[in-house]
Amino acid sequence: MSITQILFWVLTAMAIGSSLMMITRKNPVYSVLWLIMTFFAISGHYLLMNAQFLFIVNLIVYTGAIMVLFLYVLMLIDLRHDTEPRKNKWLKFAGAVAGGCLLLVIVAALKDSDIKSNVVQTGEGDIGLIANLGKALFNEYVVPFEISSILFLSAMVGAVVIGKKE
Amino acid sequence: MNALLISAVMGVLMMFSSFMLKSKSAVRNVALAGMFLILVANILDTYGWHLFNIPTEGMMHFDRFSLFFNSIAFACTFIFFLLSARDMEKVGINYAEYFSLIFFILCGIVLVASFQSLLILFLGIEIISIPLYILTGSDKRNLKSNEASLKYFLLGSFSTGIMLMGITLLYGHAGSFDITVLIKAGEKPSSLAIAGLLMLLFAMAFKVSAAPFHFWTPDVYDGAPTVFTSFMATIVKAAAFIGFMRLFSTAFYSLHDQWQMVIAIITALTLLIGNITAVFQQSIKRMLAYSSISQAGFMMLALFALNGTATEGLFLYVAAYSLATIGVFAVLIKMKDYTFEGFNGFARHHPFLAAVNTVFLLSLAGIPLTAGFLAKFYMLKAAVEAGGFLWLVIFAVLMAAVSVYYYFRVIQAMYFKEGDAPVSMEVSRPFQWVLGVLAFLIILLGVFPNALLYWFYF
Amino acid sequence: MYNFLQIRLSAFLLDVNTVGSYIPVALQVLIVVGLIGFLLWATHMLGPKRKTSDKLEVFSSGIGSHGEARQPMAIKYFLVAILFVLFDVEVIFFYPYAVNIKGLGWHGFYAVLMFVGFFLCGFIYILKKGALKWED
Repeated sequence: MSITQILFWVLTAMAIGSSLMMITRKNPVYSVLWLIMTFFAISGHYLLMNAQFLFIVNLIVYTGAIMVLFLYVLMLIDLRHDTEPRKNKWLKFAGAVAGGCLLLVIVAALKDSDIKSNVVQTGEGDIGLIANLGKALFNEYVVPFEISSILFLSAMVGAVVIGKKE
Repeated sequence: MNALLISAVMGVLMMFSSFMLKSKSAVRNVALAGMFLILVANILDTYGWHLFNIPTEGMMHFDRFSLFFNSIAFACTFIFFLLSARDMEKVGINYAEYFSLIFFILCGIVLVASFQSLLILFLGIEIISIPLYILTGSDKRNLKSNEASLKYFLLGSFSTGIMLMGITLLYGHAGSFDITVLIKAGEKPSSLAIAGLLMLLFAMAFKVSAAPFHFWTPDVYDGAPTVFTSFMATIVKAAAFIGFMRLFSTAFYSLHDQWQMVIAIITALTLLIGNITAVFQQSIKRMLAYSSISQAGFMMLALFALNGTATEGLFLYVAAYSLATIGVFAVLIKMKDYTFEGFNGFARHHPFLAAVNTVFLLSLAGIPLTAGFLAKFYMLKAAVEAGGFLWLVIFAVLMAAVSVYYYFRVIQAMYFKEGDAPVSMEVSRPFQWVLGVLAFLIILLGVFPNALLYWFYF
Repeated sequence: MYNFLQIRLSAFLLDVNTVGSYIPVALQVLIVVGLIGFLLWATHMLGPKRKTSDKLEVFSSGIGSHGEARQPMAIKYFLVAILFVLFDVEVIFFYPYAVNIKGLGWHGFYAVLMFVGFFLCGFIYILKKGALKWED
């Protein structure tokens, strides 16, 4: 086992473990902290795949900014009482069945697919480097890039419409 | 491309007019003028007058299919503005912003109608969804509106997540986002591609509110301010269907035999749940939400059949359904009481409004001589041509018969019940004129469907 | 570890286009986490512990605590935070542009200009609407 493989498995275990911890915590603040852990593990994966730009963006935007937003949301709602409503037993059961079906589909898809032989490319390939990504973004993908600004604008308008005091 | 850029600029313009224009009627006039400009620019685009020439690197393809649908959607939005723009004032103080968000949604509609790459499809769906979440929750003092917005946001982002997962798997299969090379004809698709296809199918079924992914629809359509329900139940839903059709008729056409059964089951379920539940509703707004589910079931027949008749029929259906639903909602907004009893004796006090409302409801029910009848007829014809699934066609006819019941309940309340049908605001003369034109259009399309479909080819 | 040592270390570390250049960062992270963990553990183990109920009580200026610290807070904090995230993402997009600024030429410049132009419109809108005004 080379060092990248060891790192890959450690990060994978960390990502799956902390996301499981995230969804099983009762206290939402702990959930957010575990989510941060998950993001760190996924950032580590990006680094292993030599996607350095995604690594840093994931850290800055998701672990930094989005998580702060999550915490703000938690502070906006009243957490003093244990307000979590009792869930219907059948509803839980139905949810488990639906989620299990999704899992089954994904596992079935990945089980006998031909990508099994060439697993993730670690430490090679240079498409994830900032220079190459920039070239792709501003040449081939320039139209979606510009269009995404419309999405940002509508988010700004939405923030003002919903958040501004009348 | 014309329409996309102009509607983006119009959105920005409306943002600025929120603090630059003092009077509300000025804002409304700018929005109406902008809407007209977009419609004209799109028609120019259809006949080769491209105002902008931007290389899209094969990410978008403005063919007749997309441009024709855009024209229908813009025309419907223009009529929607004419009828209901005044009623948006009552939702909240951010009048210009509502228009701005609607223009941004129109950008998303253009993207969804003309995408050639899954990336653009995703962007379009997001640009449609995010302003809609906001419009749903724009009635901030109303708890139901807040709840609807939150529900819509959570479920909508979940379905977008599933869609992204599907796109990822498809990219893993083909190594490209381009829908024309996604699955090569005659090749046995890998299980990655099948899983991706299913996930895209589920996500799109959510967006068009087909059963069993319809759970958000009644609450969201009921909770949202009625003007915006009218917009999202018609034009946005139509755009989602066009995107659905474009995706499955291009990218997954070679696998048609394999997913046809899934679509057939979804169609049957949607028709069943939409129609049966609509029968038991007391509020007309909620009934219309369920009726939109059942109409979605009929539109799913086009996806099921996927032939020339289905394409034509989908356009006709989209136009007929949007026009009629916009009309019904425009009348409903004027009412004080949204229950069936609220319409008691409506015909005595407002004979003209009751008459046009009857035309809209008849069209939705699919009675001959209205556009709705021919639209349903085209759909069934397409399904018969596709062959093999006669039970689905018979079932759809049965369900159409059920739908007559709840549409006629409104007509019955208007004409045959005693009451004073309280109206919450005065009904202006231009409003009645536009409604009259709308009813005329529906009857015109019901007699000469080629008045619309002609423009698809020429 | 054995494989790792066989690679020519200096070349591996100095090439910025491979993951190897991150090994010093990883080492530093390891040392920082290890040191902090060790210090926390050591102070915990070495220091004396005399827990009484009075000492575990929340202490603030000798006044007994009452109520909860978790009050729902005003939405204007959230408004600022979400606007921050939007502009944060905008700035991130400059990064790949800045690296390629020469190679992309005027074409890339116009693309960025249009993007920033849209954001500028949004910024003016936000300012004019008073979304960043704290007192209202």
